[in-house]
Amino acid sequence: MLLDEYKDLAEFSVREARKAGAEYAEARIHGGTGTGFMLKNGEPQPSMLEDSFGIGARLVIDGAMGFGATNLLSRQGVRGLTARMVKMARASSRLVKEPIKMGESKTGRRTVRVPEKEPVEGGDPGWLESLLLEIDGRVARAGSGGGVKIPNRIMVASVGVEEKFIVTSDGARVESRVPRVNFFAILTALKGGDAAQRMVQQGQTGGLEVVKRLRLVELVEEEAQTLADVLDHAVKSPTGVMDVVLSPELSGIAAHESVGHPQEADRILGREGAQAGESYLSKDSLGTVVGSGEAFVSDDPTIQHSNGYCPVDDEGVPSKKRRLIVGGKISEFLQNRSTSSLLGVRNNGASRSAGFDREPIIRMSNTFVEPGDYTTEELIKEVKDGIYLKSFTEWNIDDKRLNQRYTGLEAYMIRNGETTSLVRAPILEITTPALWGSVKGRSKRLEFEAANCGKGDPMQGLPVWTGGPDTLLGGVRIVGGA
Amino acid sequence: MKVARRLGADEAILISVVSDERMARFANSTVTVSKSVTESGTEVYLSKGGRRIIGTSSNPEKASLERFVSLLYKSMMALPKDPGHVPLPARGRKYRPRRAHDRRLESAEGLLAGYVEEAIGSAESEGARRVAGSLEAGVTSHHIATSTGTVGADTGARILLNVRAFTDRDASGHGLSCSATARGLSPEVAGKRAGYHSKMMRNARQLPEGGTYSVLMSPTVASNLLGLVGEFASAFSVEAGTSFLVDSLGKKVGAECVDITDRGTGEGCLQPRVFDDEGQPTRSTELISGGVLRSYLHNISTAKRFKTATTGNAGLIDPGPWNLEVGAGDSGYDEMVREMGHGLVLTSNWYTRFKNYRKGEFSTVPRDGTYLVERGELSSPVKGIRVSDDMGRMLSSIRLLSEEREWVQWWEVDTPTLCPWVLVDGVTVTKAYGESPPSSG
Repeated sequence: MLLDEYKDLAEFSVREARKAGAEYAEARIHGGTGTGFMLKNGEPQPSMLEDSFGIGARLVIDGAMGFGATNLLSRQGVRGLTARMVKMARASSRLVKEPIKMGESKTGRRTVRVPEKEPVEGGDPGWLESLLLEIDGRVARAGSGGGVKIPNRIMVASVGVEEKFIVTSDGARVESRVPRVNFFAILTALKGGDAAQRMVQQGQTGGLEVVKRLRLVELVEEEAQTLADVLDHAVKSPTGVMDVVLSPELSGIAAHESVGHPQEADRILGREGAQAGESYLSKDSLGTVVGSGEAFVSDDPTIQHSNGYCPVDDEGVPSKKRRLIVGGKISEFLQNRSTSSLLGVRNNGASRSAGFDREPIIRMSNTFVEPGDYTTEELIKEVKDGIYLKSFTEWNIDDKRLNQRYTGLEAYMIRNGETTSLVRAPILEITTPALWGSVKGRSKRLEFEAANCGKGDPMQGLPVWTGGPDTLLGGVRIVGGA
Repeated sequence: MKVARRLGADEAILISVVSDERMARFANSTVTVSKSVTESGTEVYLSKGGRRIIGTSSNPEKASLERFVSLLYKSMMALPKDPGHVPLPARGRKYRPRRAHDRRLESAEGLLAGYVEEAIGSAESEGARRVAGSLEAGVTSHHIATSTGTVGADTGARILLNVRAFTDRDASGHGLSCSATARGLSPEVAGKRAGYHSKMMRNARQLPEGGTYSVLMSPTVASNLLGLVGEFASAFSVEAGTSFLVDSLGKKVGAECVDITDRGTGEGCLQPRVFDDEGQPTRSTELISGGVLRSYLHNISTAKRFKTATTGNAGLIDPGPWNLEVGAGDSGYDEMVREMGHGLVLTSNWYTRFKNYRKGEFSTVPRDGTYLVERGELSSPVKGIRVSDDMGRMLSSIRLLSEEREWVQWWEVDTPTLCPWVLVDGVTVTKAYGESPPSSG
């Protein structure tokens, strides 16, 4: 394994940094291999292979932080990298008003290996192509009965293994091997001059058995049929203030965007202010009521098979489930070493990086609304006139995470406790307190979607899950789309 | 290349990319981290008997790269033939090594702290209470060799400053300075602009309701939206149905004043490339001129399917823009505000997302300096709004463009874009349902 060849370099990097006077030092050999395959409108595109390894290191010296990365994996390369980090950190230390402290965190030796029944490495390279061709064939046939065609289909399947070895100056030695299987598609359905689009994303950690576990072929076929049905049958959406049931997909994106992000402690403290933004919350917001007593949201990096699986973070600190909102109250922020030190709270191990050339920063893992006691049917029965938002297309939120918008794709009118016709593009545009303050009930059904979360500068896209149960919102405003 | 030939590949392209970047990030007027990232990678393309494969390796050792090429070849031969394969031109090209970049941006760690200090000081001198941002300087080199004899080397450099100033949590301003040379960077201008808007945004109010407005977009906002034309003009996006420009070649897609051009190289370009990923020369390609769509962006494969010539924009799979230029108008900022009468001025935005790429329908969230204009004058700062539109309608509703233009590349603008202020009529502006908590400092 390539990682084994370079473990000594991580140890060497930390020793070099300490020798140069660093108060804290950390090094991470980080990389992986992967294979991807793409179909465009049923036509194979060139297959893609990737092999990437390098070292990313951080140090704190004179209260200033330096990050360095290189794939020149030699002692000489690492020595040069350390010298540059020390030089830059020292040069910036006169502009550091409050010295950075990495705090006391529980660390140790740990090996993380995600099991694979069918290994992603060494398999038949034509396998991904066969899988995509099967899915594509089914999608191309979907909806053909009603005059809808799906002529444009982008599909990408990829498998890979991410490997890391992390060393810190306070004793962490963490080795991990995480295989992943990912699928992404953009389907475009046309009828006359009208068009509808659906992006499908799925991803789990594990071997090739993930494809069967996801029922990937059937799932994408169902998505294609739904897309055709939307174009064929959806009627104008009702508008106004009404009850709305969010599906697991909608509950999940709302939990991620308006709970997970604003409860990242680095945003709260202003560190991401120029790019991803800050937060509507302050460091004193713990215990603040932002939702109804039915609002419960968590982030859990320890869920088996999850896209955001990360039981030990990239600062070598064991991760744990974070209870973000409990009964409508802010309960916990996502922390790393420096924010927990600054705020005087326990570090819950939320630091992750997208590759050797990116610094570890606070990230979500698998963020979700906690399930409740209702069945989906019971929740819908609670609604006299309303909307069931089952999937979405466009979404966004302001950089303080207060003003968000979700545009429905598969959405149904609810009349007298039953879903009736498909409706076209209803829009939920709502503030964060209004959304979480209106939660009246949650179903037992907990489901997750895969997503890539973006943050940092340079940008770091990281695999996460978003999820939840069906969530009933009482009396929120829906505006009509087209 | 020797390994590829020995194995029997019909075609091979190797591109080595070496980058050396330095960055300082700051927040709350203090430096949070300094970064030094030195990377090299090799992109490899092989074909044999109609089969194709692409690989990327970050391992710079010769033996490892040879193993990687062998693995790629073996994997390729297990794949079925690719009907979209188009051979490279038989005759290769020689590109003289180009090293016209600013050498001061090589290993620029000595420059960063001073510039950051100047940017923070300038923002605070305008009234900002705290300042965040990033300063990035770097050099990237591309070396190419193909089995058809193409060889070349090309080096480019850039320095990008992004400043965001705050007077309270709801009052922020944004400033950018983007340049291909250290001399062209203006930390003072970016800092003062961010500081000015952070002061102006104090006591911003919510619009009572949404509606339809004329909107004056700064180069930062306009480059985020008009710059997307580069991606939508990719022949790959057109074939994939993820572009509102499908079936639009030669047709009117914007107002007569709209000109958008892609440039491989040229004065000020922040991402210069002499050759593309297929070894073809880059050039200047008019995408839209006089409001008419003149060309898509092509590589060799898409060009053959569209019965035209490559525009030198490979991407082996997906052709893409290098540097975009939105044509200037002849208006000044003050004149545009006066001409607008009633509307909004947007100086920054983020989180642009599409409901439907085929129809070009999107929304985006303004942030930082955002102002209501009444009777041709800025009347009050505004917060909590969202802009919804579609690309075709927006391009067709551009009324005025400024004479002054700026290069923009930052977190929300991937392709470097030289862009003026842009006045667009009839833009839908919405606000969220529900109250927001009061702002705090």
